[in-house]
Amino acid sequence: MTQAEIKLCSLLLQEHFGEIVEKIGTYLVRTGGQPLRVIVSDTGTSLDQVKKALCVLIQHNLGTYQIQKRGFVEYSVQCSRVLCILRYPRYIYTAKTLYGDTDGKTMDYTEVSSTFVRLADTHFVQRCPGVPDASGPSDSAAPPAPTLVIDEKDMYSVPRLNLIGKGKRRRSCDDDDNGEHKAKKQKQDLESQEPPPDDGIYWQVNRDRFHQHFRDQAIVSAVANRMDQTSSEIVRTMLRMSEVTTSSNAAYTQPLSSNEIFRSLPAGYNIGKQVLDQYLTLLADDPLEFIGKSGDSGGGMYVVNLHKALASLATATLESIVQERFGSRCARIFRLLLRKKHLEQKQVEDFAMIPAKEAKDMLYKMLSENFVSLQEIPKTPDHAPSRTFYLYTVNVLASTRMLLHRCYKSVANLIERRQYETRENKRLLEKSQRVEAILASMQATGAEEVQLQEIEEMITAPERQQLESLKHTVNKIDASENQVDETIFLLASYVDSTVVAAAKKP
Amino acid sequence: MAEVKVKPEVPDPLDVENRIIELCHQFPHGITDQVIQNEMPHTDAQQRAMAINRLLSMGQLDLLRSNAGLLYRVKDSQNTSKMKGSDNQEKLVYQIIEDAGNKGIWSRDIRYKSNLPLTEINKILKNLESKKLIKAVKSVAASKKKVYMLYNLQPDRSVTGGAWYSDQDFESEFVEVLNQQCFKFLQSKVELSMEDIETILNTLIYDGKVEMTIIAAKEGTVGSVDGQMKLYRAVNPIIQPTGLVRTPCGLCPVFDDCHEGGEISPSNCIYMTEWLEF
Repeated sequence: MTQAEIKLCSLLLQEHFGEIVEKIGTYLVRTGGQPLRVIVSDTGTSLDQVKKALCVLIQHNLGTYQIQKRGFVEYSVQCSRVLCILRYPRYIYTAKTLYGDTDGKTMDYTEVSSTFVRLADTHFVQRCPGVPDASGPSDSAAPPAPTLVIDEKDMYSVPRLNLIGKGKRRRSCDDDDNGEHKAKKQKQDLESQEPPPDDGIYWQVNRDRFHQHFRDQAIVSAVANRMDQTSSEIVRTMLRMSEVTTSSNAAYTQPLSSNEIFRSLPAGYNIGKQVLDQYLTLLADDPLEFIGKSGDSGGGMYVVNLHKALASLATATLESIVQERFGSRCARIFRLLLRKKHLEQKQVEDFAMIPAKEAKDMLYKMLSENFVSLQEIPKTPDHAPSRTFYLYTVNVLASTRMLLHRCYKSVANLIERRQYETRENKRLLEKSQRVEAILASMQATGAEEVQLQEIEEMITAPERQQLESLKHTVNKIDASENQVDETIFLLASYVDSTVVAAAKKP
Repeated sequence: MAEVKVKPEVPDPLDVENRIIELCHQFPHGITDQVIQNEMPHTDAQQRAMAINRLLSMGQLDLLRSNAGLLYRVKDSQNTSKMKGSDNQEKLVYQIIEDAGNKGIWSRDIRYKSNLPLTEINKILKNLESKKLIKAVKSVAASKKKVYMLYNLQPDRSVTGGAWYSDQDFESEFVEVLNQQCFKFLQSKVELSMEDIETILNTLIYDGKVEMTIIAAKEGTVGSVDGQMKLYRAVNPIIQPTGLVRTPCGLCPVFDDCHEGGEISPSNCIYMTEWLEF
């Protein structure tokens, strides 16, 4: 856990859940798993409050518990889950675009349940692990904490329920940007007396599935940028077919035959089989190497190189950052080093066609910011500088981690700035809220036009302007947080995928 | 009756020399003493030797050793006129410079090869330069170094840097212009493979604007080398400028000094203030 990550976690927890949860959460992120007593004593909060805080954390899937060997329970909070809070708006937006928006209108149960079933079928929501049935002998001591189990095949199956005649229910406004509801619990019907058939079944959002979806989106848009719309549609089809068959951190999708792809193309695209084959061949031969050919049966078997694609996207992100920060000539040198791995000073100048003085300057600047590093190769055992080769190189993984750290700090800065701006204008905000409340109540009691206008004028024009600019500021910072989160997602996916790939190597 | 003595014809020394020269021209690879003897049987060894020595000292003949004995070869007439009046040391230095070809040779290397002291070398070099037999060319690799080569030779690419250098200065504007032009040319989707501007195209690749593929081509198609051909096409970047650089923090020069409560903090960041006013 880097400092930046911990800071960001604490900011997020504070903003969404309050001081106490923030204190407990940050403590657990920093120190790892701790038993209840230790948490109480170290953070200096009362047992009651600690319990409540832990409940909140576990409810929102930020914290977990584990039974240790000695018999006590340790609670822990995972930093990566807390950082996912940043992504909630993106999840909600994705769900809206895929399955339709409610627009705040009333929905009846059938619509809700059908949408829900669709979400479960595509694995966007999954069942929470539940308490196992008490099958063992009852005389054995009950464990200090239940071990939750879930059967693989039950994870996405929605139990059949009879919901006809339950009446309409207004869907609560969930357009809140700081979407807090993580577990879509099926509310118990207050009317009926007997418990509904799916009592005890709780649902949660399947984060990994959303991440998979974002990754697929990024790959498809990269293909669309590099080639054309049709190729990106083909790649999208291939990814859609592999959605439920490939695990989220696999390096390749399952091989798909060209015939299958042809059958699964969306209805609007009527390209011939031959054309599809040509496209697939082109995609497989492209220097990008997103698609690879793995065999010839079934008209050609093709896979999507997920790891390769993530690496390309991460590299492109790095290049874009270098370009914006240092200029396009530095970017040229950076890309040159990425391609050729190790180069001497002189060779860099020759290949990039940049005069010696400028090239030296740029290389040193990038070196000081840790985008490139030097590799020494001594010619003599005494490592004399005049007899040593100094080679410049780019270490992609290290640079990615460094930039990831910078992203986290940037988001923390943005959040702090937003809070600062809100605090500065607190007085004004409160005043405007009061005015609105008065207006609303007066409208309800049927006041006259003149009176309403009088109330509105309580807020002067410059104040109104100030409010406008505040709104504009907050929106801008919010949008910016989401944009940085996109970068975080790409870089973090690449790091995770590389770590997994390295672990798999014998 | 008195014996008539046939006075042996004393051949004119100049005649001998001219005949030898003619012979040399006839046999440009060189002639041995034996050949001269056969041609001019009325000259004796001493006359031959004298003539050959004279020709050698005049610089019209080259003396070479082969496994058949000594060979005499006619020297290039252009040079012979120039080298008149030079002494042996100069000739030696000239030979060394000539051997260096179009890469030229540094004065220190001349000294090592000829074993002459530095002062002598400098005098000789100045002499040769004034006679316009050699010239000094500044090397682009080390700007203080001067290499010497024969006057009429074209300096090698490695010395002058090739097309991209003019007078030892990197022609960066030239490179930039070509860079832009090539890019525009490629954007109009013409497939192109030219050896000469391959380096410029490589810089475009490093700019991320162009990609290259190698295809197998028939021998004889324009631009194919060893059965392969390089094709270039203009491409778009695969992602838009990334989110981090759209915030002030991504480009901030004092990022590492910034923390809440310090001199530089998110709350009083001037870059953010400016950015928020857009």
